[in-house]
Amino acid sequence: MTDGKERAELLAALHAAGAASEEDEQELEALLEADPSLEAVVRDFQDSITALASSFEPLETSPKTLGKIQKKIAAEKGGLVSRLRAWFSNS
Amino acid sequence: MAQVQPTDPKELVAAMAAGDSGAPLKEFYALYGSTVLALLTKMLGSRAEAEETLQDVFVELWRRAPEYDSSRGGVVAWVVTVARCRALDALRARKRRHGNDQLQFFSQRHGPNTDGGRPDVLVSSTRWHQALRQAFKSLSEDQRAVLELSYFLGKSHGEIAETLNLPVGTVKSRILAGMRELRMMLPIIHRSMVA
Repeated sequence: MTDGKERAELLAALHAAGAASEEDEQELEALLEADPSLEAVVRDFQDSITALASSFEPLETSPKTLGKIQKKIAAEKGGLVSRLRAWFSNS
Repeated sequence: MAQVQPTDPKELVAAMAAGDSGAPLKEFYALYGSTVLALLTKMLGSRAEAEETLQDVFVELWRRAPEYDSSRGGVVAWVVTVARCRALDALRARKRRHGNDQLQFFSQRHGPNTDGGRPDVLVSSTRWHQALRQAFKSLSEDQRAVLELSYFLGKSHGEIAETLNLPVGTVKSRILAGMRELRMMLPIIHRSMVA
């Protein structure tokens, strides 16, 4: 493998693993712009690490949790509607 | 009797993006809730904190549904990314509260063969999960350590080098080797699922 390809693969691996520095990310962005085929390498690594992260034994969730989530979303929706109403009434 | 086909996760995300927090969210939660809870419990090392964070993760997924772009990755990758970010936020908040680094190695906290939860609350394991865990176990100890520190504890390669007292170049090489190993195993796992 050429040094350039090796470097690109390293940056893609660091990015997917969450270990890339800001400079690494910028370098990877530039390489991706120059060579869009590198996207496939990034995607492969991301798929691998995602698979790993979703490989833990699933845990049963509490039945109450979904209700709590929906309540929080309803509060957000209410807040948004109130803000929109206030905006329209002031404009 | 005709079997009910589960909805395509992308359709569920589209419905949530349109503001629906009813049936689509319920189905989406049924699909990913237990996997996200397992990941959060592993990362946070606390079931109670994981349950709290789980709520935030799904509220955020609902809120950010309009931003989901299928050309950038599958739904599960998006879900895992949001969950990981939330867990890392919680770990950083804990670190600020305690004033020192409370982070521990994954394998120290859970052991290499632990299941991450009480046996009575485990959802049945699938062959997919078993195959993946087996794949992760086949990484070398060195590769596992750097991937755990980077991905699950959010440390940069510089921080990992400091933590493990290794040159940065060695850390980077181990991350690349570990990622290559994982990438190589994926097709094998996929094939084993089809067989």
